[in-house]
Amino acid sequence: MSGKFILKKQNKSIYLFRYKRFVTQRKGGEVLKNHDRILKKPWPYMVGGSILAILNIILFILTDKVWRVTSGVVHLGAYVLEKIGLRPSEWYYFSQNTGEGLGTGEMFIYNPYIIMNAAIIVGALLSTLWASEFKWKRIKSGKQFVFALLGGFLMGYATRLSFGCNIGGYFSAIPSFSLHGWVFALFMFVGAWVGSKILIKYLLT
Amino acid sequence: MTSKAIEELKRRRQGEFKKKNSQIPYAVIVTAISLIIYTICIKLNHHSTFWMIGLLFGITLQRSRFCFAASFRDPILVGSTAILKAILIALIVSTIGFTIVEYASIGDAGELDKIRTLGQVYPVGLHTVIGAIMFGIGMVIAGGCASGFLMRIGEGFLLQVVVLFGFLMGALVGTWQFEFWDKILISKAPTVFFPDYVDFPIATIVQVIVLVALYYVADWYDKKNNIMVM
Repeated sequence: MSGKFILKKQNKSIYLFRYKRFVTQRKGGEVLKNHDRILKKPWPYMVGGSILAILNIILFILTDKVWRVTSGVVHLGAYVLEKIGLRPSEWYYFSQNTGEGLGTGEMFIYNPYIIMNAAIIVGALLSTLWASEFKWKRIKSGKQFVFALLGGFLMGYATRLSFGCNIGGYFSAIPSFSLHGWVFALFMFVGAWVGSKILIKYLLT
Repeated sequence: MTSKAIEELKRRRQGEFKKKNSQIPYAVIVTAISLIIYTICIKLNHHSTFWMIGLLFGITLQRSRFCFAASFRDPILVGSTAILKAILIALIVSTIGFTIVEYASIGDAGELDKIRTLGQVYPVGLHTVIGAIMFGIGMVIAGGCASGFLMRIGEGFLLQVVVLFGFLMGALVGTWQFEFWDKILISKAPTVFFPDYVDFPIATIVQVIVLVALYYVADWYDKKNNIMVM
């Protein structure tokens, strides 16, 4: 009787071992296939950062322009305003030497960063789909909604003061040897510190 | 647990696995559409490079879960500088890359004015400080930076669509009020472009040294403060 019991126990441990191996396979253990490693497992930050930098350099070589995000958002917004009958092209901002004005016959919608921003969304969608991880994620609460709107507005407004967001004013500005990129980075820490306090006080409680 | 139960569990697991895999057809369709758009852009001569590199930016951001907001927030909240270190590496790579591209484009004649217009060189002053603090607050409470919310919209987060809408509104109001800020601050502020003060190669070398030093500081900070070490 005891022999039978031991056999059963052995069986159990074999199954447990197989099951564990199966789970580690799914979670990205050593036995993971190569394409799964690229498509499913997150890439290390170092790899991601380096690829972003190299892509930015390639963009610079091919187009004489560097990666920016807000420029596209501003031009898309100006295009919409124009469609509803306003005249943003007469705004002071577009008449200044900010590199954002329109040439003759140019339209707001021609801005290359509009296409690039759309491509970033589609690119993220692509890689999510290839990993079969796509899922609509709903907004959890009214509080979250308000903070998202407010945070977005603050960021958007700030970009016009500091000439760029975390991409144009930081990720592309520091390699451009402009002091404003460094100052922007330094004081973003101050802002992030204040934001974290707000986050802890209102959002996480 | 009996062997039967384990087999059942295995089957169910496999079922989930298969169900999860079912997004591949969509992936194929979206990939095909992206490539069609790319060829249309080439035909119309309309920013095809921006489209293609944008796709690759999106894929890279998503795959590596790259979040600038976290790079600023995590050192403060949990003491982790993993993403910050990656960004510092990226800045080192792009500093060297930008230098080579800019050097190649001007030849050996020191046409600094030309380089200045190529990169992101803008006035620095109090407006930068105010903007950076506002941006930092917004980034943390919205839970994502400018590249982050674009990426998360692609992942299916509806919240980030709200962030994008707020961002668009804020950017437009800021553009509209730019005259005010330009008159009181920006027009009086200097534009500091390092190669104006030291030779271009020296500026590159110094900047790389500073970035490497910052990397070691970030590494030391992480070892000392990270509460998330596994």
